[in-house]
Amino acid sequence: MDFARRAILGQIAKLTAGAALVPLASITMSSSAVASPINSQPARREGDASKRYGMLIDLRQCIGCQACTVSCHIENEAPLGNFRTIVSQYEVSNESTGDFATMMLPRLCNQCENPPCVPVCPVQATFQRKDGIVVVDNEACVGCAYCVQACPYDARFINKKTQTADKCTFCAHRLEANLLPACVESCVGGARIIGDMRAPSSQISKMIAQHRSELMVLKPEQGTLPQVYYLGMDERFLSRPQAEPALWDVRDMDGKEIGYEFLDH
Amino acid sequence: MNSSIIEILTPRYELAWYPWAVQYFFLIAISYSALLLSLPGTIGRGQLAQRWQPMARLALLITLTCTLVAPVALLADLHQPMRFWHFYTNATPTSWMSIGSILLPLYLISVLAYVWLAWRPALQKARAGSGFRPSIAKVLSFGDWQASRAILTTVALVATLFAFGIMLYTGAEIAIIKARPLWHTNWLPIMFVTTGMVAAAGLVILLNRWMSPEREGREDINRQGLKVILIAMLISALVATAWFVSGFSGHSDSVAAALQSIQANSDWRLSAIWALVAGVTLFVLAGLALKAGNQARSVLNWAWIVGLLALHVGWAFRWMVLMEVQTVAKNTAGYYQLVVELGSYGLMGIIGTFGLWLAALLLIDLFIPWQGKAQLEAQHG
Ligand code: SF4
Ligand code: SF4
Repeated sequence: MDFARRAILGQIAKLTAGAALVPLASITMSSSAVASPINSQPARREGDASKRYGMLIDLRQCIGCQACTVSCHIENEAPLGNFRTIVSQYEVSNESTGDFATMMLPRLCNQCENPPCVPVCPVQATFQRKDGIVVVDNEACVGCAYCVQACPYDARFINKKTQTADKCTFCAHRLEANLLPACVESCVGGARIIGDMRAPSSQISKMIAQHRSELMVLKPEQGTLPQVYYLGMDERFLSRPQAEPALWDVRDMDGKEIGYEFLDH
Repeated sequence: MNSSIIEILTPRYELAWYPWAVQYFFLIAISYSALLLSLPGTIGRGQLAQRWQPMARLALLITLTCTLVAPVALLADLHQPMRFWHFYTNATPTSWMSIGSILLPLYLISVLAYVWLAWRPALQKARAGSGFRPSIAKVLSFGDWQASRAILTTVALVATLFAFGIMLYTGAEIAIIKARPLWHTNWLPIMFVTTGMVAAAGLVILLNRWMSPEREGREDINRQGLKVILIAMLISALVATAWFVSGFSGHSDSVAAALQSIQANSDWRLSAIWALVAGVTLFVLAGLALKAGNQARSVLNWAWIVGLLALHVGWAFRWMVLMEVQTVAKNTAGYYQLVVELGSYGLMGIIGTFGLWLAALLLIDLFIPWQGKAQLEAQHG
């Protein structure tokens, strides 16, 4: 299967070339599609057009404590087993020297500038606000899960309790009350920085200006223009990493799987 | 890069589309393929029409039953099925699924109208006498007026037009999903159509064994069905080859993604081998059956096995594409587990759809003279 390996290496090369690209120029881009052709971005609605929220995650500060995972889970009442945000933890070993390193990678919805989850929604339940946040109107959502398929980051899921699509909203309800998102609030290392990227004086704008050339986004080759920027990123983790899953199944003494709520409905 | 990576905590999500989706894609593909198979015998002229008439009878029955049951499976795949009306209050031109939700009822109505017009002369004849069947025929024939051939042809062509719409939207809906490289290829929509044709011809052959009226016509139907299977399989093989070549030439990540999964996952390996074996076996068996049929030997007693295998190939292709592909995690290591549970979201859903289809088939067989002239002669003569 040498061909498979070559094709995959080719993909990696493609992606590293685009990785340095930080699509900030697009922030000012506003979509004003009226007669929209199929699968193009519909017009944005609601939210404050003078703002564009984004997040910068300083991986050098993340210790992988999952405080964000837990606080988000409590704040947003996601069902057990589903996460609006989670910190992927990797153990990287150098096979020749035997050295180990760990990599922590907080994941959440990227509030993409070109979100593929939006145009696919058949009932306009998923939409992008003018401040860039992608939200789901779960009164309108029919639970077709098309958006779950379309998101390249597995950032969406069908919420078992509401039977509708669910995802991170940067805690839009908290932002509106002048509070920080739960994950940012609880972050022990101060690794998550959220803010308005249109305001030059915001911390995120300053940090983006300062680290411009080092920032990376996930899966840049998908053309989604993610607005969650990573500082201190390792290129091997930009796309689905070539990794072995470790603590995957939690099994009891008889080899029967335990611990996953979704198995026993 | 001599490093190895272990992902320590891996969340594992359920698949978002249930086996209902496979059932919908399967039934709707059989529906539009059977519609096409019914055309030469229904609106064709002269010899052509005569040769394909027996086949058209079965094909009409199949297209009607599958068209009626497919939307039920589609509705069941929604997590909020009672909100289906949102599709019509919030129609969305950017979404292929929304376009589909508008096409589907139009298709359904046009198929109903087409099959009704095709069956109407028989319905009108069946009004004679008293009893349940004649009274149903009275209601369903809507009077004595005769529909002209031009009307039948027009309605058939309108239905065919919508059938192409269904082919396009079901294919495009999946193929535009860039996030799943395995789906993101233009070859997929074509493959849906060719394997749909295989399954529809298979179903014709299967029903032909038990439901067709005349002895001679049945051997003809088998030969025609087998030919359709052979041609559709040949095209499928060409399409698969073209897909593979497009991967080699770097035009599609779809092939690389498939090979990667086959390498990494034993389930995938098994499925790939199974698909290959089933496909080749079907082709060889269909070829043998056709050869025997052409030598005027009866294949009636075993051709139905080929039909069953053809149905399996059409169904398994959709299962692979829609269910197995969903097990590929987009961000994290490993694969989600494909668990088919017993409940209505799993096995009961699959069996239930087929049960519903069977019920529709039997009801029509019981009350409607779908076999046309032949049936009437058998009953009254
Ligand atoms: S990360 Fe996924 S869910 Fe979030 S905006 Fe992008 S495509 Fe949509
Ligand atoms: S699951 Fe809901 S939000 Fe997602 S595409 Fe379907 S209707 Fe839209």
